[in-house]
Amino acid sequence: MADAALSRTSFAPPRRREAWLSPRARRTLVSIVLAAICAVWVYPIVWMISASFKTNGEIFADSGLIPDAPTFDNYTRAWREANIGQYFFNTLFVTVGSVIITTIAAALMGYVLGRRPIPGKTALMGLMVFTLFIPQGFTIIPVFELLTSVGLGQSLWGVMLATCGHSIVIFTFLFAGYFGQMPKELEEASRMDGVGPLKTFWYVMLPLSKPIIVTVIVMQTLQAWNDFLLPLVVTLANPDLRTLSVGVYSFRGEHFIDWGGMTAASAITIIPIILLFLFLQRYFIDGLAGAVKG
Amino acid sequence: MTSLNRRSFLAGTSALGLAAIAGPAFAQQGFDFGAPMTDMPAPDGPLRWLDSGDQKGVFFREFLANYGEARGIETVYDGLPWVEIATVVPLGVRNESAPDAFALPLDMPPAVAIDQGWVQPLDDYIPDIAEWRAGFPTGSFIEGVNMRDGKTYGLPFTSDRRSSTLLLFGREAMALTDYDPSPENPLNWDEFRTAARQITENSGGSVYGFILGGAQVNRWRDAVLSLASRAGAHYGVSGFVTGFDFSTGEYALNSEEVVAAVELLLAMRDDGSTFPGLLSLNAPQARAFTAQGNAGMILQGPWNVPLWEANNPEFDFGFTWTPAPEGADGKTYVNTLPSAANMMFLNADAKNPYHAAEVFRLMGTVEGQTAWANVVGPSDPAIFPAANEQAEMSERARAVIALQEQQVRATPVPYSASTGFVEVARAFQMPTPDIAQTVQGLFAGQLTDVQGELDRLNAAMTDALEAAIAEANAAGADVSREQLVFEDWDPTTDYAG
Amino acid sequence: MSAYSDIPPPPDEARQRPLGQRLREHRIDYLFLLPGLAIFGAFVVWPLFAANWFALLDWSGFDSRQVFVGLQNYRDLLGDEFFRAAFVRSILFTAITVPLQMLLGLVLAVVLNNRLLKLSALFRTMIFLPVVTPVAVIAIVMALMLSPFNGPINDLLQSTEIVQRAVDFLGSPQLVMWSLAGIYVWKWTGVTLIYWLAALQTVPDELYEACKLDGVRGWQVTRYVILPIIAPFAVVIGLISAISALNVFPLIQATTQGGPFFASEVMEVFIFRTAFAPPSGTFPQLGYASAAGVLFGLAVMGLTILQVLAVRHARRKEPTNG
Repeated sequence: MADAALSRTSFAPPRRREAWLSPRARRTLVSIVLAAICAVWVYPIVWMISASFKTNGEIFADSGLIPDAPTFDNYTRAWREANIGQYFFNTLFVTVGSVIITTIAAALMGYVLGRRPIPGKTALMGLMVFTLFIPQGFTIIPVFELLTSVGLGQSLWGVMLATCGHSIVIFTFLFAGYFGQMPKELEEASRMDGVGPLKTFWYVMLPLSKPIIVTVIVMQTLQAWNDFLLPLVVTLANPDLRTLSVGVYSFRGEHFIDWGGMTAASAITIIPIILLFLFLQRYFIDGLAGAVKG
Repeated sequence: MTSLNRRSFLAGTSALGLAAIAGPAFAQQGFDFGAPMTDMPAPDGPLRWLDSGDQKGVFFREFLANYGEARGIETVYDGLPWVEIATVVPLGVRNESAPDAFALPLDMPPAVAIDQGWVQPLDDYIPDIAEWRAGFPTGSFIEGVNMRDGKTYGLPFTSDRRSSTLLLFGREAMALTDYDPSPENPLNWDEFRTAARQITENSGGSVYGFILGGAQVNRWRDAVLSLASRAGAHYGVSGFVTGFDFSTGEYALNSEEVVAAVELLLAMRDDGSTFPGLLSLNAPQARAFTAQGNAGMILQGPWNVPLWEANNPEFDFGFTWTPAPEGADGKTYVNTLPSAANMMFLNADAKNPYHAAEVFRLMGTVEGQTAWANVVGPSDPAIFPAANEQAEMSERARAVIALQEQQVRATPVPYSASTGFVEVARAFQMPTPDIAQTVQGLFAGQLTDVQGELDRLNAAMTDALEAAIAEANAAGADVSREQLVFEDWDPTTDYAG
Repeated sequence: MSAYSDIPPPPDEARQRPLGQRLREHRIDYLFLLPGLAIFGAFVVWPLFAANWFALLDWSGFDSRQVFVGLQNYRDLLGDEFFRAAFVRSILFTAITVPLQMLLGLVLAVVLNNRLLKLSALFRTMIFLPVVTPVAVIAIVMALMLSPFNGPINDLLQSTEIVQRAVDFLGSPQLVMWSLAGIYVWKWTGVTLIYWLAALQTVPDELYEACKLDGVRGWQVTRYVILPIIAPFAVVIGLISAISALNVFPLIQATTQGGPFFASEVMEVFIFRTAFAPPSGTFPQLGYASAAGVLFGLAVMGLTILQVLAVRHARRKEPTNG
């Protein structure tokens, strides 16, 4: 592909002219333009964070971004009274658990579908493609009934398992595509060394698929962290089990809204995800790159 | 409860957006729970309570906690929006995780829940239940609603004698007009329209005359149905009897009163005196704009009063009747005297039925009712008139309750004619668009022919009712349209049955 | 284990051997499939089957009474103008947002891919911020931003005299879908950006070097070198974006609930309204809603297959681009 692209470039008329700005100055200019765009882009969120330091009265009073009298009340209230601390750990539990389960299950399945010519493979993959396009919003009742019938209708384990279902198809395809383009010799070498299939998978294949693993971790984390309807229904009977997104939602009343508390709770909710993204974005991007290469 | 705890409780309630109670003193402190009503069995897990939150959350979160302390039982309170209740209660009942006491999904006839075996009567738990019931005002217990075959199911602890369309206004804005409305001196339709225009014009466009949470379709239904009923139309206001005239047995959604009410709103829109963007506002936002002085008048419910008093103490506002055309003085209507939405039911599989029932019982005493009224004031009035009189609330709040005593009446209840109408309610498919959506569509300009659209709606409602009656009869309901005619109905009084 | 150690024979040979034997050979593979299949079956396939079954019922979803009505729900749907309108709106919404989001994401990705740009990581994170912000919060913030009354955007438009009267972005039947599309693109472009950045990582470094030596620079590098390489990714990215655009439900539910007067009712809002939030006085129709979901799913799948076939056809015509 690269060759094709290169040979094409040779058709392009090479236009040499003096750049009117040094590359460095141009980068600075680009940075300034980008900074302006980004400032507009994040303005609503900055507004939200600013609101989280204001009293409910001040939020409505059309004041600027800087609070007149910054207050941490919203945060302490969100954390303590609205039980955000507990919700935080519930969410963490569900997220970490579902990430582990989904990654392993999707890797195993993707490995088989990508490399092994098993009978029924085409049918299975066809079915998986089909399910990609069905809106999922109204499947909550069967999912809930299923969880209930196996005794997980009121537990975080139930939330964790059901959350795994959301994107497993996409993840499996990512793994399948990646494993599918790896050289056949890998398994052969293992077989020569007398290593069993499980060990081969675990020690040879899985480490090689690191890019996909990172991708799946980030995508599933986003998914689990923002999931709403399912945790709401499952944890209803037991408020101690609620997740953050449900907790944030419960700030909303029908007749009135606590903007300060809500924005503070939202800020608490998004901070971990932002940090995760900041630290993992390099891996995430490279991972996705590796994933789509195949 | 120490004062420190109380303060943190108050902070917590405002965390839930429930700052309304900051005004009235909290009379729950030292509520005397008395001796247990009977030999209470040992608790089986926590006592769990689920309703639609808001004011109820403010009250029950603490009331239940105090009750739990007095009786040695842990309590868990949950307040959820109606949409979630509609999913969560049925699912909870099915997997036996539903709370001990819960509110039913909005518009689900209690009789359906009884048929389905979701709920159980209170008779087995509350001693001397007939005596307890007798303490409530007449019309609180209705066969087919919260009674069935002489057994008591639902706790009717709040009154629905509320108008969600009182005319509330900022005095500063009203000063820009030729009018000075008050409960004794309401505005008629023309004055209402003129006042809105004057506010907009005389403020130089910084204040708009009229606002309404137009993204919330039920606001359109409430506004039009009550404006029209002030003009003299009379009908049921929710479910399959929305717009149904019990004196003629016909729907009246295309009556001249309704048409005129819609046209009034359209005229105000065309005057340019409605708030820009009201179609994308929900009710709380519309309320906030009124209190900030950006809009002069709003048609809203009594719950605005304590909210504004607490959150916008500097906002000087007045209230009056829902406007009526000149010379007319119709009432506005609710379907039943007790609020069906606030009614609480006892889970058939309750783990702690005695404790739940005891809380029910307490809510049906003057003490319990007063404690409630102290917290919610006029928002969700206590069903005992005595409690509203005793409770601490502002003069304005008290006057709002008094006004509603004059303006709001309860219509006949189909279920009391025949419980077979439960089947009709079940089978009835509201046409799309319904009255609320139709009015919104007319205001937004997607629909244009007022009379034509309302004629179409009225015909669609009639067809839907016929179909539902046929389906109900096929299921053995044995009902007829004639049974929905209540010849003895006097629309100026509560229907006593 | 022995099953595994047999490297499977080439496909044509495999097809001739009995199925039983082949299944046995692959028993370890099936074991590997188990966890994934369990999750897929329980939380993806089973709910779909259940939904298909519900689609044949007249059922409220919470009533214990279920009446089998066969294909009646499907027949009713075809005559339901609101269903048709929602259907069209969903497709249009996807057709508008996906290209916008992809183009915007691509431009940003090309700019931000410059390793010499020191603040690149920070900019990426900023663009990504809306992605991680809960929809409930976005709805509130956007309602205030877009408000016709003192909203910052209208203030700007009016002070620069672009418009005379304030624009009701979310309350005007003509504008509401465009406004929602804008919010949607704002919220999700961050993800598309990441996909494109990932695609850009597949451009080998040597290529940039080669360009430098050839004196090709700036826009020309992008136009003649980079774009042709990452073009094939457009299909995948477009597909993923389309799937998420069809799931715009939370955003619309939190902002307009499909209003005013159905002007922003997309398919999922229609399904939700009929299944869980019917107008006052009506029981929900879970069966009807399920039928709508099934029909819509089938239609989208049909469109996707058409699209994939078209892409394949186009590719076959241009073999050099493999």
